Amino acid sequence: MILSLFCSLAALMVAAFVLGRRRAVAVVSGDVRSLHSRPAYYGHWVALWAGLPGLLLVLVWVAVEPSLARWQVLAHAGPAVTELSTERVELFVHDAEALAAGEVVSRQSTPELRAAAERVAQVRSEGRQGLAAVVLSVASGGLLWARRRIHPQLRARNGVERAVRGLLAASSGIAILVTIGIVLSLIFEASRFFGLVPLNEFLFGLEWSPQTAIRTDQVGSSGSFGAIPVFAGTLLITAIAMAVAVPVGLLSAIYLSDYASARARAVVKPLLEILAGIPTVVYGFFAALSVGPVIRAFGERMGWDVSSESALAAGLVMGVMIIPFVSSLSDDVINAVPQSLREASLGLGATPSETIRQVVLPAALPGIVSAILLAVSRAIGETMIVVMAAGLAANLTANPFEAVTTVTVQVVTLLVGDQEFDSAKTLAAFALGLTLFLVTLVLNVIAMAVVRRYREQYD
Amino acid sequence: MKFRIALLPLATAVLLLSAGAAEARDQLRIVGSSTVFPFSTAVAEQFGKTTSFKTPVVESTGSGGGLKLFCSGVGTRTPDITNSSRRIKASEIAKCADHGVTEIVEVKIGFDGIVLANSKASPRYTLTKEQIYRALAKQVPVDGKLVDNPYRKWSDLDASLPGVKIEVLGPPPTSGTRDAFVELAMEGGAKQIPMLSELKATDKQAFKAVAHTIREDGAYIEAGENDNLIVQKLEANPNALGVFGFSFLDQNADKIQGSRVGGVEPTFENIASGEYGVSRSLFFYVKKAHVGVVPGIQEYVAEFTSERAAGDEGYLADKGLIPLPAAERSLVRNSAGGLSLLSSN
Amino acid sequence: MTDRLLPTDESAARHLAKRHAAERRFRSYGASAVGAALVVLVALLGSILWRGLPAFTSHEVRLEIHFDADLLDPRGSGDLEVLGRGDYGRLVKLALRAKFDQVTGRRERRALSALVSSGAAFELRERVLAEPGLVGTTRLFFLPLSDDADLFFKGGVDVSTREADRRLSDAQISWLRVLEAEGRIESRISRRFFISGDSREPELAGIRGALVGSLWTLLITLLLSFPTGVAAAIYMEEFAPKNRLTDFIEVNINNLAAVPSIVFGLLGLAVLLNFFGMPRSAPLVGGTVLALMTLPTVIITSRSAIRAVPPSVREAALGIGASSLQVVSHHVLPLALPGILTGTIIGMARALGETAPLLMIGMVAFIVDVPSGPTSPATVLPVQIFLWADAPERAFLAKTSAAILVLLAFLVAMNLVAVLLRNRFERRW
Repeated sequence: MILSLFCSLAALMVAAFVLGRRRAVAVVSGDVRSLHSRPAYYGHWVALWAGLPGLLLVLVWVAVEPSLARWQVLAHAGPAVTELSTERVELFVHDAEALAAGEVVSRQSTPELRAAAERVAQVRSEGRQGLAAVVLSVASGGLLWARRRIHPQLRARNGVERAVRGLLAASSGIAILVTIGIVLSLIFEASRFFGLVPLNEFLFGLEWSPQTAIRTDQVGSSGSFGAIPVFAGTLLITAIAMAVAVPVGLLSAIYLSDYASARARAVVKPLLEILAGIPTVVYGFFAALSVGPVIRAFGERMGWDVSSESALAAGLVMGVMIIPFVSSLSDDVINAVPQSLREASLGLGATPSETIRQVVLPAALPGIVSAILLAVSRAIGETMIVVMAAGLAANLTANPFEAVTTVTVQVVTLLVGDQEFDSAKTLAAFALGLTLFLVTLVLNVIAMAVVRRYREQYD
Repeated sequence: MKFRIALLPLATAVLLLSAGAAEARDQLRIVGSSTVFPFSTAVAEQFGKTTSFKTPVVESTGSGGGLKLFCSGVGTRTPDITNSSRRIKASEIAKCADHGVTEIVEVKIGFDGIVLANSKASPRYTLTKEQIYRALAKQVPVDGKLVDNPYRKWSDLDASLPGVKIEVLGPPPTSGTRDAFVELAMEGGAKQIPMLSELKATDKQAFKAVAHTIREDGAYIEAGENDNLIVQKLEANPNALGVFGFSFLDQNADKIQGSRVGGVEPTFENIASGEYGVSRSLFFYVKKAHVGVVPGIQEYVAEFTSERAAGDEGYLADKGLIPLPAAERSLVRNSAGGLSLLSSN
Repeated sequence: MTDRLLPTDESAARHLAKRHAAERRFRSYGASAVGAALVVLVALLGSILWRGLPAFTSHEVRLEIHFDADLLDPRGSGDLEVLGRGDYGRLVKLALRAKFDQVTGRRERRALSALVSSGAAFELRERVLAEPGLVGTTRLFFLPLSDDADLFFKGGVDVSTREADRRLSDAQISWLRVLEAEGRIESRISRRFFISGDSREPELAGIRGALVGSLWTLLITLLLSFPTGVAAAIYMEEFAPKNRLTDFIEVNINNLAAVPSIVFGLLGLAVLLNFFGMPRSAPLVGGTVLALMTLPTVIITSRSAIRAVPPSVREAALGIGASSLQVVSHHVLPLALPGILTGTIIGMARALGETAPLLMIGMVAFIVDVPSGPTSPATVLPVQIFLWADAPERAFLAKTSAAILVLLAFLVAMNLVAVLLRNRFERRW
């Protein structure tokens, strides 16, 4: 239903474009130079007037329909329903909706339920028919109105451009919607977790050991939910990864953009990008079975106590994985630094390396910083490598030869565990996710302020 | 106008919105435990090939996540069956009931042996449950007092054991395998220590807390749930032991060997007969309200409990599932075939 | 004092030599960084190839199959329904027993029939359904060996170990040797791997389902994230007023890049599945979740690229009367395209390799049927890899690597278009 409505709207918009364009040409009897904008803009302008209001109406309806149906059901339901517990009421509404859609329901269908289902069906069918009528008439009205308004002085281009700008702004607004969505989908379960575990114990606790029981007949043993070791582990592994990725990536970028031949660059750059696409399982096996034992053997030769799972193995391999984040993105910005800057520097007698270090890099700095931040983000979000090579034990340590764990790893293992979903153990995943979200938010605010300060504009 | 390309996401979004329409489902949907997953999928595939029904979709979500989805309501948007490596909890039954899922059929499918294994490059270990407890517990009784686990080498426990560092790779605390291992091996071992069995008589809670907590000083390494990786790590490190499901030992018997626990070697026969004491039951749960709505549920259950699947020589045994004793099998077959409900207790 | 201000020739030469040495050093650092990264890449790819190549071939056994009419269609009805229910597994067993007629005893016979894949029966069934005339005849057929037997011919079974520790018994190995000596065993390119969906039997498992699933998923991801991301980047760089709201959006975008991918899965579960009621396990939902995940990457890189376009280009265009949108679409975007494409490549590469968010929306699943559209249940390549890597059967090890090779081929194919475009649009000012 909704889909066919969208399709007819789209068809109407195409028609509106053709009509508007023709009309514009006709208004000036073919002399398009006397139009304010090029004829196509008039077409777009009419199409927008035909399509946008209808589109908005449909979206509004899609958003309100469920609550409307729900309201209808509850408004007409007898006290037998409304006096039930909230969960039972939910169940009743859900069953009514299911019955209306011809679905299985969880109970015998009582007359009450059938009446409610009919109401839902009524809201749906009548609402949608009404919607279709309204939307189509609004759309054709918009079309006709806009078409009549076409005259040579009409600033169609400005109108269309305003709409396009609105579209662009809406695209960037999606980020806010996603953020709200994420916070909403985390906060409910997280708050239930904080009902079970005090907030300050979680934030400042130095021990992470979710060894609570899985079954009822077992007893909760040591169940401590201090997030500090998990965050420290994240920091450690990310730092190791960046210690690999930043130097290798940045030097590669410099070499590719300023030293390598165009041909070598065209081949090597995509090759390096494959590193970002190798599935993390592969890196995980590589880290656990190749790099880990080497580090262990090395450590034993030096007389250190090295566990077979180490932050170092995971960090090093993760660093390799994110090399392309630094190399490719930095290469692009370095490449985009105007050649005139390089030539001026070289003309003054600087060697290429001096030019790069003192002229090109400062000019490309904002782009490089955002590339590095992106790489850091990727490192924070990685799970598989850490699970396989650094284990899951949360040790509070700065020693890269010890096993550590990261926030993301804990979130994933807790979510897919065998324990009851509503236990503190699973809910801790939501709390960790939310906390990580807030921590990175603060870090990003700081990063933005710093980058602003050092941003330079060259031409 | 290059901006016309910006209409693509809009069109896709429309597709998204319109995909919401509920439609009748003709394919079984199964969720749940990653331990049951290999068996469930084998049955699903066989079921799809030998009947006219579509092959069910089997998701690996973990027992907890599976039950959460299963209990989220009745209707074709919710799963029909959930696999579980543990029995459903009373609180979960209550949660199910809150969402209208009142009729649940429990089907026990067999056992999963949990083995302690090491590389064949080293000698085979012979351990008692008490030694397992002493090697892996966070706190152990020494001279009548509970202290942090002082044992560093296996030979600290018993002179007959090798003098290598205690290093055991095993599942994390979110895993049902670990849960069962803790209960069967460690608690079983703790009971044999007089001081702890006294504690059990006086304060059961305290006893379990001592018996169930695994040490966190690096001797027990939480290695994630990829058992293949553990097997490969054992190969690379002959000094380490690993804790995992029997099917992985079965498939890799040329490289690793199972330690004897209480003098019994973890073989198929020993686990099936119950002589090898560390194994747990596996289950799946069926939503009875969906029977007759989603086609194939009863047939799938029949296939899973049939002799050619779950029998002594069935294809699930080839995949490493330890079958139930014959008498219990026919009991399960009958009650599952009749869709007898789980009584909520 | 002049000799102090103006360095002598000698010290100038020394200084110059030093600078040149520094230059060479710097250059070699760069070269070795590239070299190191390439070495790791080659090592990784090499090990995957080494392990994965065997999975592209499989061993098959040639057997005379007698399509016994009494077993398949006792009444001779020729009805496809009746033929479909026939016991084809028995045909295979009988053929094997006819070959090794000295084998008696239940246990031995079981061991004998375990050499041939359980999929052989289904293959015969399909042949008969396609050609009912086969009933009553005897034909030669190539049938797939079981995974263990296949592994034996690939050298994966160590004959020197104790019999009990092997997947194949001494008797089974001797039978396989007999078959091989008779020239009945052949190694063939495994077509099954490319044309079938997932299976629990390694010798039958194929990659096509996951490949098609990935195709649909990434198509949705690309359609959603590329245009939206570029549009957002254009707005942020070119039009957004400098105010709190813009700053807030910017911080939000940067922050979203650091959100663990599984959280996007939770978002998808809460919003797309539970609120909008979309189907579980559908590429449409998976693609949307991955699009939200890659969006920050695309936006951030596109912004960097747009920012790197020199202001003089914009000013020149504005100066000759272009509107600000025309400046963007005619001048800034084409110039920024290489950088935007890089961001897209990296973002899509990540989306292609991601499993965690898909777990929450039901795409980490065993799905045999090849998906037919964006709303039918599907899984994707990395999930398939993850599931196979976790399977107990050893033959899945090679399958895992082979699936990784397929994923990389997919990645290279996907990137190729972008890389060619990027090279075409790239320029220096």
